[in-house]
Amino acid sequence: MGFYILRRVGQMIPTVLGVIIITFILFNVVGGSPAAMTLGKNVSPQLLEDFDEGRGFNKPLLFGLWSKTRALEDSDFAARPDPWRETDTVAHEADAGVVQLQPGEHALPLRFHLRAETRYRFRMTYRLPENSEAYLRWGTRADAEDSNEASYANVERLQPSTRSQTVRVMFEVGERGADLKPVIDVVQGTLDIEAMDIRRRARHVFDSQFVHYLGQIVRLDLGRSAQTNERISSMIRAGIIPSLTLTVPVFVIGLVVAISLSLICAFFRNSWLDRFFVVLGVALMSINYLVWIIVGQYVMAYKWGWFPVWGYESMAYLALPVFIGVISGLGTDLRFYRTVMLDEMYKEYVRTAFAKGVSRSRVLFTHVLKNAMITVVTNVVIAIPFLYTGSLLLESFFGIPGLGYLGINAINSSDVDVIRAIVLIGSVLFVIANLLTDICYALVDPRVKLS
Amino acid sequence: MTQATMDNMPGSGRTLWADAWRRLRASKLSMLCLGIVLLYTALAVYGEAVYRYHRIKDSTPSYQQVDLDKQYLMPSFLQNERAWTQHPLGTDGLGRDVLERLIQGTRIAYQVGIVTSLIAIPIGVILGCLAGYFGGRVDDFIVWLYSTFAAIPGLLFILAIAMVVGQGLLGVYLGIGLTMWVGLCRLIRGEVIKHKERPYVIAAQALGYGSFRIIFRHILPNIFHIVIVTFTLRFPASIGTEVFLSFLGIGVQGEPSWGIMISNARLRLWHGVWWEMAFVTLAIFGIVLAFNLLGDALRDAMDPRLRSGEEHA
Repeated sequence: MGFYILRRVGQMIPTVLGVIIITFILFNVVGGSPAAMTLGKNVSPQLLEDFDEGRGFNKPLLFGLWSKTRALEDSDFAARPDPWRETDTVAHEADAGVVQLQPGEHALPLRFHLRAETRYRFRMTYRLPENSEAYLRWGTRADAEDSNEASYANVERLQPSTRSQTVRVMFEVGERGADLKPVIDVVQGTLDIEAMDIRRRARHVFDSQFVHYLGQIVRLDLGRSAQTNERISSMIRAGIIPSLTLTVPVFVIGLVVAISLSLICAFFRNSWLDRFFVVLGVALMSINYLVWIIVGQYVMAYKWGWFPVWGYESMAYLALPVFIGVISGLGTDLRFYRTVMLDEMYKEYVRTAFAKGVSRSRVLFTHVLKNAMITVVTNVVIAIPFLYTGSLLLESFFGIPGLGYLGINAINSSDVDVIRAIVLIGSVLFVIANLLTDICYALVDPRVKLS
Repeated sequence: MTQATMDNMPGSGRTLWADAWRRLRASKLSMLCLGIVLLYTALAVYGEAVYRYHRIKDSTPSYQQVDLDKQYLMPSFLQNERAWTQHPLGTDGLGRDVLERLIQGTRIAYQVGIVTSLIAIPIGVILGCLAGYFGGRVDDFIVWLYSTFAAIPGLLFILAIAMVVGQGLLGVYLGIGLTMWVGLCRLIRGEVIKHKERPYVIAAQALGYGSFRIIFRHILPNIFHIVIVTFTLRFPASIGTEVFLSFLGIGVQGEPSWGIMISNARLRLWHGVWWEMAFVTLAIFGIVLAFNLLGDALRDAMDPRLRSGEEHA
């Protein structure tokens, strides 16, 4: 038995890894940084960069040493002169796709100071005509604090040529990020810049978004909500109870009602009652969930005043959402359990029982129900993890502060981390529930272990 | 020997499809559902034509034209005036005809149902066939892939995909399509595993046919009814999900989708404007019910072994 459980746990690991990979692909690779979406459009690049920094979005995806910074977005100058501003000494030649610098000292148009004590790589593709002269200078020299001239520690001479050249320099930002002022010093002639970019060096090759994400999972720290800056783990912990107070009654009542009705169908099979329930089941299934909620809330709570309309203060507030939850799921459940019961009714042991004169109700309630329970229990255990995510719509319509409400809010405000956390935890719970079902099976039925 | 038993004998010169069609036709309810589905399809095609016409002409279609004089008109069949032809199902809060908007909603629902199936069916069928036929590592990988997808809470997963892709129909298509293939893949895989041992497949292997030829020319036609039944039963589910997504504002933008109509009608309901809500509900109910019943009937007609409980009765 121990070996079986161990093997089954081993099988669980790839699925959990799969969930991690899929959420990573979805939110990091496809989605990318949600900074602009969350913070809005008119935010300084520095704030966006800080947002990314806190959530690891400024690292390479899987592995790598160099990552972008918002201080200088990758530019080729075919369309716009960004980030240069056109001035007397800077001109944008849209036809040639270059920015042209006249003689003088030009500071790199960085949007904010580079981070202190970090290495950067700057790359520029340029064309410098023959007999022109230009330098790239950077870094403050320690001994030249107050002298006005030649205050740069490093100099790189740009090569005049008829073809375009690429210069690539690494530099280290000192203790104070402000120290570093890479400048392009054009002494003579004009410098045409075709493209430039800047990359920040990571601490090590695997200082990546994926490793950051794995680290978060291992530490069970899913970060903070971008909206409220609350810890996501505590938000989820706070949401579970309200969610369960809604979903557990819905689930239990729904199950009892559906199984009872399906037993009635099986008992009276072929009669008008059975047919009525079949039609009712399909009809209930076909009414849109939204309509149940909207019309139920409007008619029963607002028009007739039977229930409170909105809120989460006492049990009375839960009655209507639970009722709607039960009735909207009834159709599907009823059909499912009716099929289960009827499948059981055609087995040989039932025929035997009838043949030896056992009464119809006894066959149904002691023989059939007991055997059908295997299917029912599987279905129940598999459904349990989904109770945790709550009901997105019921909760937001009735103001129940559970995980469904949290999820809808997070979607409305593009709070990616919250969604990712809920999806991840829901999936892991599902995998665990699957494991528990299998172990229960193995305990009950020794044949399972062999397969 | 009666005609009925003759018909059921193998080799009586009828294909499986014709046989299924004959069984389907025997049920009046299924034919009614098929009729309803065809009616909705015609409306969707008409809606598409109107939409295209206005796009080519670059004009504002009447279902988008705001006319504040005609706000909240009751459905004309409830009025005494002779305005029968004007707004049979009334107008909404901006004076737009509810019927025309419903037809546009049908167009979008069909668009979503069809495109999501075009995404999900190829993925499900191809992966299911490969896993079932080749077994081994291929099977392990594909089973791993779909059990991973199956582990993720469905609606949240769809919402997350739609959110990441961005507003608009593309997110809806991908969200539903990329989650819908799992069930189909599982079914197809199981069925291919069964067929792999059948004599006709072994014969084909003995003749030296390539694996892909056997899978796609020999096995697939024999299990294709599963695809059709799944399509019919998933179609209404996609429509429901699209309504939900549009309602949340993630789906289609600026077009009268059913979800957007419900979202608008919800607020007006509280002011006693019930007809927009009622007719959207009816429209969705009609198509979903027809597809559900038709799907059941198709399953019974095409594969008697898969009969649902109703047929035992």
